[in-house]
Amino acid sequence: MTLYLIKRFLQGIPLLFIISVVLFALMMSMGDPVATMGGRRVTRAADYERLKRQLGLDTPIYTQYFYWLVGNTWTRIDLDGDGVAEASGTRLGILRGDFGTSLVNRKPVMQVIGERIPNTLILMLTGELIVILGALLVGVYSALRQYSLLDHVVTALSFIGYSMPIFFIALLLMFVFAVLFKRWGLPYMPTVGMFDPQVGKTFGQVVYHMVLPVISMSVVSLASYSRYIRSTMLDVLNQDYIRTARSKGLPRRLVIFVHALKNASLPIATIVGLDLPFLLGGAVVTERIFAWPGMGRLFLDHVSRADTPVVIGILMLVAVAVIVFQIITDVVYAWLDPRIRYD
Amino acid sequence: MSKKSVLYTVFALLVVASLVLSGCGGGKTTPIVSGNTGYTPPPASQQPEPVNKVATLIFTQEFDNLAPLYSSMWFVWTTWQMFDHWAWEFDENNEPFPRLVTEIPSVDNGGVSQDGRIITMHLRDDLKWSDNVPITADDFIFTWEMAVSPQNTVATAYPYDMIESVAAPDPKTVVVTFSEPFATWLANLWHGILPAHILRPVYEADGTIDNAEWLKSPTVGCGPYNFVEWESGSYARFVRNENYWGTPAKIDEIFIRFVPDDASQVAALKAGDADLGTFISYSDVPSLQDAGLDVVIEPSGYNEFMFLMVNEQKGHPALLDVRVRRAIALAIDRDGINRDLHYGLTKTPTSFWDGLPYYNNPPLQPYPYDPQEAKRLLDEAGWKDSNGNGIRDKDGVELEISHATTIREDRQDVQAVIQQDLADVGIKLDVNPVDDTLFFASYAENGPAARGEYDIQEWSDGPLFPDPDIYYWLCDQIPTDENPTGENWFYICDEELDRLIKLQSTQVDPVERRDTISQINQLFYDKVYIIGMWQDPDVYAVGSRLQNVKFSGVTMFFNIAEWDLVP
Repeated sequence: MTLYLIKRFLQGIPLLFIISVVLFALMMSMGDPVATMGGRRVTRAADYERLKRQLGLDTPIYTQYFYWLVGNTWTRIDLDGDGVAEASGTRLGILRGDFGTSLVNRKPVMQVIGERIPNTLILMLTGELIVILGALLVGVYSALRQYSLLDHVVTALSFIGYSMPIFFIALLLMFVFAVLFKRWGLPYMPTVGMFDPQVGKTFGQVVYHMVLPVISMSVVSLASYSRYIRSTMLDVLNQDYIRTARSKGLPRRLVIFVHALKNASLPIATIVGLDLPFLLGGAVVTERIFAWPGMGRLFLDHVSRADTPVVIGILMLVAVAVIVFQIITDVVYAWLDPRIRYD
Repeated sequence: MSKKSVLYTVFALLVVASLVLSGCGGGKTTPIVSGNTGYTPPPASQQPEPVNKVATLIFTQEFDNLAPLYSSMWFVWTTWQMFDHWAWEFDENNEPFPRLVTEIPSVDNGGVSQDGRIITMHLRDDLKWSDNVPITADDFIFTWEMAVSPQNTVATAYPYDMIESVAAPDPKTVVVTFSEPFATWLANLWHGILPAHILRPVYEADGTIDNAEWLKSPTVGCGPYNFVEWESGSYARFVRNENYWGTPAKIDEIFIRFVPDDASQVAALKAGDADLGTFISYSDVPSLQDAGLDVVIEPSGYNEFMFLMVNEQKGHPALLDVRVRRAIALAIDRDGINRDLHYGLTKTPTSFWDGLPYYNNPPLQPYPYDPQEAKRLLDEAGWKDSNGNGIRDKDGVELEISHATTIREDRQDVQAVIQQDLADVGIKLDVNPVDDTLFFASYAENGPAARGEYDIQEWSDGPLFPDPDIYYWLCDQIPTDENPTGENWFYICDEELDRLIKLQSTQVDPVERRDTISQINQLFYDKVYIIGMWQDPDVYAVGSRLQNVKFSGVTMFFNIAEWDLVP
């Protein structure tokens, strides 16, 4: 297992390199970040030339990638446009832990991303937890009470939830529970934000503001996960070893939650493991609608302004997380199923 | 310990870790002034008095940078009237009034030299920064030096890079000398000043002020409010400046919350979670008014135009004929578009200077909606449907015109209407919606607008509001491989237009300048170089609690110190 893990991690290095090259090339084709720095006007010509030079965007794309990778402290650059490269470069490069500086707000990329990651984790992990727990409960119950009235109701609601776009669910929840409930004098939820700035970022405020976004995100995923668990449970419940367990007189609870669910959850473990790294990317639609200050909104704001360093920083972070969590998923899989061995 | 309990433990730890991280994170540029995150408050004697009037404003975009010179964002410009005044600002009629100066410089009061090159400003005696340091001419000199320093990545160095020198014969007098007569100084100079006593040491130590803490946390200012904190993605907070040299602000504290989604902003306004909304969509106006909010429409100087490619090398050959251009203008029901798609909240602009009535004098009348006259003109110009396919043609060339604009929703709606209107008179319009950053990319980046790739290009534009200058229409501003940074993306080279534009930029007498602008106005109208689609104002929604609110199209929150809240 140790050798397997080392091999997987080493395989990830060239993969990350290839991903970085592809992302960099794609971002360069996604627009001109300096073009919109003029505000409501097109950037003035003299300012355009100067900003391109100062931000290092006047060099060929392969040079920009090279500086992004290894930095430019070892070379000199022409900042004032006189044709003489007299200033030292200040970038260390990603291989030395410097993800660069945002073209939009001139802050270090890791600072920009670091400000948002905790907000995203709290929202996404809570949502994922609710989805998993809810899906287990609903999926197992539906499998055990197949074709019952409640199973039909749950199935119908699952399909409705799965069919509705997230933005519609989010806006509907906001207007009903935040706007209308307040108008009707009922206890109401907040509309936007992670907390009320007049109160401060307290635990209670964050939980209070998290309710509607988490529900919005969870509805669709819960619907699909619960259907999946229902399907795998039904498949497992018809297996011979389950029949054997029952005939041996084991308690029903033990049969269902130990023997059946454990085997039925193997595919779910894979899906959750593949989903976890993407939690870092946030929920773009939900965060935008609820003005939740997370990674999804950060990505959207900066990709619309062609802020290459920040966008690539986010995507590389997600890429690293995908590789790491895939390895973790393999380990968890082997732990859950003793039949699986990596040699 | 069983595998199950280990699994549960891991999940619980993940949730707890994220909650702890959320409390520890925050992205604050200054310490949080609340009591539950480990921040130690100052002693009681230094603590601010309890606040009781708190207003919340919604911005649909977050700032990129709060410092003057470093941002061109509309949302950043609006905050400067809160914490960093301009030398003069503009009122609700977009008329200038002195702010940091005793009077607006003019030829009559000797503040502007006869040749228009030298501007002399006299500062008020009572000016001071919020840390009680006096504001002097040195702050203006420093601001100019920072704007033109190649070590600083300022968003724009204009018009400071046109200045020859800035001198201070005494601490309260600033003398600005331009290399050439510069008639547009009033609209473009001193949009906020930098505190020399804070930033000069940074510049001398680092060689740049790019990384100065003040740029992200401008806690020292000269406006009615002080900046306090900016939580990334969430809000910014301003409190009344107790050391303000002017009339103290009535509202104690102002929060600006960042809500990027239009529908969410509307919900927040209706729920009373905010007192003011910005960039309201026309379609949301009726529901906001029904909910008891006031909707204020303030001219911004910008208008939406179609720019016709009148150039022999570029554009459809039909557009070289003024009769065809006039036919296009007559064929589009622009009043109908504004009535039906914009709820009658905007009007069809008659002139490039619609936001500056002084320069739209005598006022022009818009081209009427007259498809029959459009057809007659096209027939007269020789464009007839000879092959019966519904599209006019001439000498084997179909009257098929390409139109491009950005992907903004209202523009796409209008494109569809224009397409139908022109089809009714036998013109086929190929519509091309393009993403903003791609559409407005530079000539060197093969930006389609910069390269003049379409016969008709559409965007919101205006003069250098509130100044009427339009230098970027000059012939030598047409982009070429030798001059890729040219700004004349209209590709129009008109000798008479060139002469008039150059003349007006040197005229310091306002009456003479107005007359020259009027000639340009008439030329645009007669030659149909542009077709005005709609006025593009700033639209605000104001909650019932906010009183005394006025807006300017230039210095938007110019009277924010007078704003008040009623219970």
